[in-house]
Amino acid sequence: MMTMRRLTAAGFTTISAIAAVTGVIAAEIGQPARLNVGVTDRDGQPVGDVVIYATKNGVDDVQRTLPITAVMDQIDTNFVPHILIAQAGALIEFPNSDTISHHVYSFSEARPLELPLYKGTTHPALLFDVPGLVILGCNIHDDMLGYIIVVDTPYFSKSNVDGQAELVGLAPGDYSIYVWTPRLRENSLPPALHVVLIDAEERQISVQFTEKLLPPHASYSGGLSRPVY
Amino acid sequence: MLAFQKNRSLQTNRCLARLLLCLWSFSALADNDAHVLIAGIEGSLVNTSTPLTSWLEGGLGKLRDDENTDDLNPYTSLTRYNSFLSYSGRLTPTLNVKATLFYNADLSNGLDLSEAFLEFRPVPRTAWRARFKLGAFYPHISMENIDVAWTSPYTLSSSTINTWFAEEVRTIGLESRFGRNFGTSGQHGFNFEGAIFWLNDPAGALLAAKGWSVHDRQTGITSELPLRFGTTFEPFEELDGNAGFYVGGEYRYGKRLMLRYHHYNNHGDPIQDATWGDTWHTFFDAAGLQFALPWDIGFIGQWIHGRTRLQDVDAGFDTWSGLLTRPFGKHRVSVRYDDFYLDQALASGGVRHLDTGSSWTVAWLFHPSENVRLAVEWLEIESTRPQFVSAGFPATVAETQIIVSIRFLLSNQLN
Repeated sequence: MMTMRRLTAAGFTTISAIAAVTGVIAAEIGQPARLNVGVTDRDGQPVGDVVIYATKNGVDDVQRTLPITAVMDQIDTNFVPHILIAQAGALIEFPNSDTISHHVYSFSEARPLELPLYKGTTHPALLFDVPGLVILGCNIHDDMLGYIIVVDTPYFSKSNVDGQAELVGLAPGDYSIYVWTPRLRENSLPPALHVVLIDAEERQISVQFTEKLLPPHASYSGGLSRPVY
Repeated sequence: MLAFQKNRSLQTNRCLARLLLCLWSFSALADNDAHVLIAGIEGSLVNTSTPLTSWLEGGLGKLRDDENTDDLNPYTSLTRYNSFLSYSGRLTPTLNVKATLFYNADLSNGLDLSEAFLEFRPVPRTAWRARFKLGAFYPHISMENIDVAWTSPYTLSSSTINTWFAEEVRTIGLESRFGRNFGTSGQHGFNFEGAIFWLNDPAGALLAAKGWSVHDRQTGITSELPLRFGTTFEPFEELDGNAGFYVGGEYRYGKRLMLRYHHYNNHGDPIQDATWGDTWHTFFDAAGLQFALPWDIGFIGQWIHGRTRLQDVDAGFDTWSGLLTRPFGKHRVSVRYDDFYLDQALASGGVRHLDTGSSWTVAWLFHPSENVRLAVEWLEIESTRPQFVSAGFPATVAETQIIVSIRFLLSNQLN
């Protein structure tokens, strides 16, 4: 089982991050900074659904704005979103929006869980307080697959289809920037990137994967019918 | 014939009444997810064009119906009712019981179970998962018949492979599957599967006797079928005490691709003075491919190849089908081609072709709501058989059929 600890320690070989100050908004001292991240593959094409998060170095107490809630839905026998990022301490709901029952489980070390057969909002939200990667499955539909990334920071985002992600509200300081996607082979995760942000700074950085990515999640079923049998 | 028609109509009405009574009884369980009861009631207008009498009436016809079925008025189509009652009950979150009761109006033993089994799906504690089935059920081979009561969501009539299974193949025993997902992205899923079964010794008898068919009829596990020369047989009997088995595997890439392979062997041991309804030794290999094509088109291809033997009868069989399907909102259009072959090995070393042919099926299905389905299906099946000539027909005969149907699903789980 892959955990975030391994994730941050593994194979520091593949990132080529170009940090460039694209504009400085220094209206007044104490303003939060903003980090725009562009993610591309080795061919320079934008990559969506990549997890980006920033942890502030030299800070023991992580800012938590409670209550933190998030939703991992189930629609058309898919986990929606396919990848959910949540801050440690989050309460995550698992509604089932399908008309058929699901039986959600995970045997991931960070948060083993089981929500026996249900529809709608039968089960109360679950607490995710340990950072790490939680892989979700359904005991009825073996091809359902979802990820929850629990991070110990309030600064996280996911790249859109244009490969763009935004981290906002960062207090000035020294940050480690991490990226993660299930499309990377194990032990080929890029190293953390260090960025020092000043007051009210808006910075654009680029992350390029130098290894070939695995294909995106194959949730497309081409008009084939879902087995109910 | 008139009396038969009236009697059949009466039987159908009684059956529908029983189904509705059962459903009403279970309506008390509404909103209870532990018990799902689905009653399917389908009325069809069937127009068949064939010179042959249906195999269900002891003839050489490959379809369920023939022109002679409705002697009251040869210019009108036959009206047929299909009904089923499918129950799925949750004993625990991981242990289910499932059973399907069919009513087939075209033979006297019409009301029967097509399947009844326990399913155990323990929640995985590691990357490996295990699934078990115990009881009477279809082997895990069909990729098309995945809807309620083992019907197809794509067409009304099943492919040649699935029609044969529906006629005389069932697993009555234990099936196990062990699988896991591989790869960082977890999208490569594998299952290794195996089953041991009994009570299906005559499997192959009907295929050897009448060749391949395309229809929607499922034989109940205690039912009889017409075989040849006016005889009948029960496909689901244990006669030799030998256990049959199948082993195989499945590979799945997300929801985009699925491959299956199985080897099946009923391990039958035909006795010395066996008749056609006794134990046959039937074995085959089955392969399947399901693939999501661009533009919301799905493809399903399945193939089986094997033999069935009874003393001096040594028949080789082979059939494959390819289906293309595409949904259009609440509509779905599917086209399937079936190709089939059956031969008899000769002592001289050659083979005698018994049944060679193909069929096309085109279906349009429309779901105006979750529990109503309107459908129109056209199919043509053309085959070449020496038996046709013996019976005074041309060597190659084409049969066509148009079905217009409406199906209602009544359930304590549907709105």
